[in-house]
Amino acid sequence: MNILVKLLLYTGAVPLAAQQIQFNLDHLAAKAAETVDVSLSGATLQFAAKFLEGKDPEEAQVKKLLEGITGIYVKSYEFKTDGAWTPADLDRVRNQLRAPQWARIVDITSTGDRETTQVYVRSENQKMTGLAILVAEPKELTVVNIVGNVDLNSLADLGGHFGIPKVETPSQKK
Amino acid sequence: MDWLEAELKRALARKDPEPGFGARLSARSRGGRPGTFSRRWLAAAASVLVLAGSGAAYRHYEGVRAKDKVMLAVRLAGGKLNQVQNRVLGVAK
Repeated sequence: MNILVKLLLYTGAVPLAAQQIQFNLDHLAAKAAETVDVSLSGATLQFAAKFLEGKDPEEAQVKKLLEGITGIYVKSYEFKTDGAWTPADLDRVRNQLRAPQWARIVDITSTGDRETTQVYVRSENQKMTGLAILVAEPKELTVVNIVGNVDLNSLADLGGHFGIPKVETPSQKK
Repeated sequence: MDWLEAELKRALARKDPEPGFGARLSARSRGGRPGTFSRRWLAAAASVLVLAGSGAAYRHYEGVRAKDKVMLAVRLAGGKLNQVQNRVLGVAK
């Protein structure tokens, strides 16, 4: 029985960690000019980690980041025109991110520009078990769910490595 | 129908094997012509090697694909988080 369970886990038949939120955004794919859909469960992440080279600084950093992560799920849509997504689309995702498990740590809303940026953290027994990022702009909608203990600084730091200018926090400036 | 019966009788009549048939048969059952056995094993080993090589190559291809997906996801998530930091700092200023 034990062997069977191990085999199922190895073959990916049973996901090690399930997605914590349902995106329910597939209907937007038809309207989108560009779609990014990434769904990586624990087994795939462990497999991919073996191919990340330690010699490459970025890949080494990603490899370290993956140590605490058991799932990465991303849906990102870019549209050619405004109004392709509706607030209801965002609400369907947001309604799942509720206390006590989820806590919103960042909420930036610009009514004029119709831009919303929210970051949620999931915790259990005072331990971080997930992260959700919601970014909604007139022509873009991105939802990210990372399952596990995410090092936010490392992740943001990686964002600075990939062609996006890194933002220095006051503590880093010293 | 006599001609048919005669034809059948001729076709089905008992025939003795050619001289040396028994010796040839026992030689083949012992391993056949020299070299045939090892060539068969060589072909089988080559097939196994090719299959194993293809399997390893496919596994490597799948691994690189998975790695690319991870890099894309981390790039996107990290970029967004960096953007959030940027905006938070912009608001704080």
